[in-house]
Amino acid sequence: MIAALAWRNIWRQPIRTALSILGMAFASVLLVFMLSFQFGSYDTMKSSMLKISDGFGQFQVAGYKNDPEIDKVIIDPASLRAELAQFTAISASTARSSGFVLLANGERSFAAAVVGIDPVNEPQVSTLSTLVKQGRALTARDTNSIIIGDGLARNLRLSLGDPVTMLGTGMDGSIAADVLVVKGIFKTGVAEIDRQIAQIPIARFDEAFLMDGAVNVVAISGDDFYDIENLGAEMRDIAVKHGLVYLDWAELQPAVKSAIALDMSTAMLMYATLVIVVVFIILNTLYMSVLERTREFGMLLALGMKPAQIGRLVWAEMIFLSLLGTGIGVAIGIAITAYVQSVGIAFEGLDEIYAQWGLPSRMYPKMTLFRVLIGPGAIVVAISVLGVIPYRRALGLEPVPAMAA
Amino acid sequence: MINPIVRCRGVGKSFGSGELVVHALRDVDLDILAGDFATLAGPSGSGKTTLLNMIGALDRPTSGTVEIDGQSLAGMDKSGLSELRLHKIGFVFQAYNLVPVLSAQENIEFVLQLQKVAPDERARRAREVLAEVGLEGMGHRRPSALSGGQQQRVAVARALVSRPSIVLADEPTANLDSATTTELVGLMARLNQELGITFVIGTHDPRVMDHSQRHIELLDGRIASDTRS
Repeated sequence: MIAALAWRNIWRQPIRTALSILGMAFASVLLVFMLSFQFGSYDTMKSSMLKISDGFGQFQVAGYKNDPEIDKVIIDPASLRAELAQFTAISASTARSSGFVLLANGERSFAAAVVGIDPVNEPQVSTLSTLVKQGRALTARDTNSIIIGDGLARNLRLSLGDPVTMLGTGMDGSIAADVLVVKGIFKTGVAEIDRQIAQIPIARFDEAFLMDGAVNVVAISGDDFYDIENLGAEMRDIAVKHGLVYLDWAELQPAVKSAIALDMSTAMLMYATLVIVVVFIILNTLYMSVLERTREFGMLLALGMKPAQIGRLVWAEMIFLSLLGTGIGVAIGIAITAYVQSVGIAFEGLDEIYAQWGLPSRMYPKMTLFRVLIGPGAIVVAISVLGVIPYRRALGLEPVPAMAA
Repeated sequence: MINPIVRCRGVGKSFGSGELVVHALRDVDLDILAGDFATLAGPSGSGKTTLLNMIGALDRPTSGTVEIDGQSLAGMDKSGLSELRLHKIGFVFQAYNLVPVLSAQENIEFVLQLQKVAPDERARRAREVLAEVGLEGMGHRRPSALSGGQQQRVAVARALVSRPSIVLADEPTANLDSATTTELVGLMARLNQELGITFVIGTHDPRVMDHSQRHIELLDGRIASDTRS
């Protein structure tokens, strides 16, 4: 009875109701789209950065991240990878080793990090092989090949087919020296990577640095970033079993995590302001409609309706109106966001800035139930909670003064 | 001895305090008996509406006691008074006071809904009472689609549908034209005679008083006369 009466009551003033619904719907559309877009951008940012080289997670010896010495190794990467293969969410894993070397071309030499990679598995974990702009990526047949960042190639004045001398320190402290041939030059857009990183086949690395089958890192990837994130506890258990540590995306890219946290805190302040403004505007309108009906509430009390029932009636009107407004907003917001999710938004002119972060120039919102419902849900919850104000007013009504109002 | 439906003893009601106190009712003793068709008359400010509010459990006396069907209002909380009004008292107001978003039939059923009567039973009784007030077939109309007289008939039907112990009407004809007034008073008198429903009507309309069996005159908050015809 209360629900049916509340539903009809909200349509007494159709224009006022329509305006209230429009206000909430507009705010909901904004919240659905902006939250989906913002979190979608974060996903892109995390995924892009991690896919360039790190992968979505890594197994290492404790302390390797902050002090990457070549002798901090995973002795038996094969058994670790075999165990990781049991997880369906993990689409690929790959072993890597890296060492700090001096690369030289004639009289020119530069310090660089040489990474030994598995040419078969690495492309399933990182996108670096797709960013080769000259020549080609490493293949399983390569032996003495090297691919280098374009900044490094420029500094060393190297071109495809040129020999490059590598001088470093092996795992046992002996000199690791080799002569390699440039087969590809990559450009990630991330200046640090392009100036400092080179890749060689892991078998060649193993031989040059006397690794004896050990590696420094096992990196993993998956089809869905969040599936891997959700495996964190299990990955840590496996790491402990192997005497290692597991680093998730936030530990691999703390700068990205901090940037996201900063951006999110300012954005959340804006969303909260939007919700608060909308809620108080709507609450004011609804409270006015309650005040206007004091006389009618007096009559209902006279007929035998209890004050609490009138309070619930008013409360139900508020909840109906907020559900209607946010429901329409969510529906429109989903439609708009789904469209933009399929075509993306291009940020023309920002390509270079985005590229420095390994980001594409076209960004896509990404909807999840949480992102769609959290903003409009906050409006509904706030209005429902603040509905206690007119509810309490109804509780205090007395029939005679109310009818005289 | 017949037990009265309403029993007022030494009822007083004052508003304000100190030098500004207004005594709306003073030491009123009154019994309303089952089947009474009583009018409550008096000049403006004589205390008619205040007394109706006491009898209707809408307000509490400052002094004295009010009992309705043997139940004293003293000590009852808001919820208890609501229950009492819902089950024992029907109201007809000067301004009709129908719920505008409900149809005539729904307005009548509303009281039964509050009493948690089953839907089929509600609909049947609402149709019956609509027929009793001469509005058969008009139950689907919203109040805005009814004339003043028709709205007041719906209000009477709403007051009757729960078969209350007493129906209280405060100036029910004040907004009606002469013909509609005669029609409405005739209806209430007929319902009183045929169904034995007790009516107390606050009015200063002589056409209403002409139909009453009992005439109570109030003056300055006191009962000046109480006569039966």
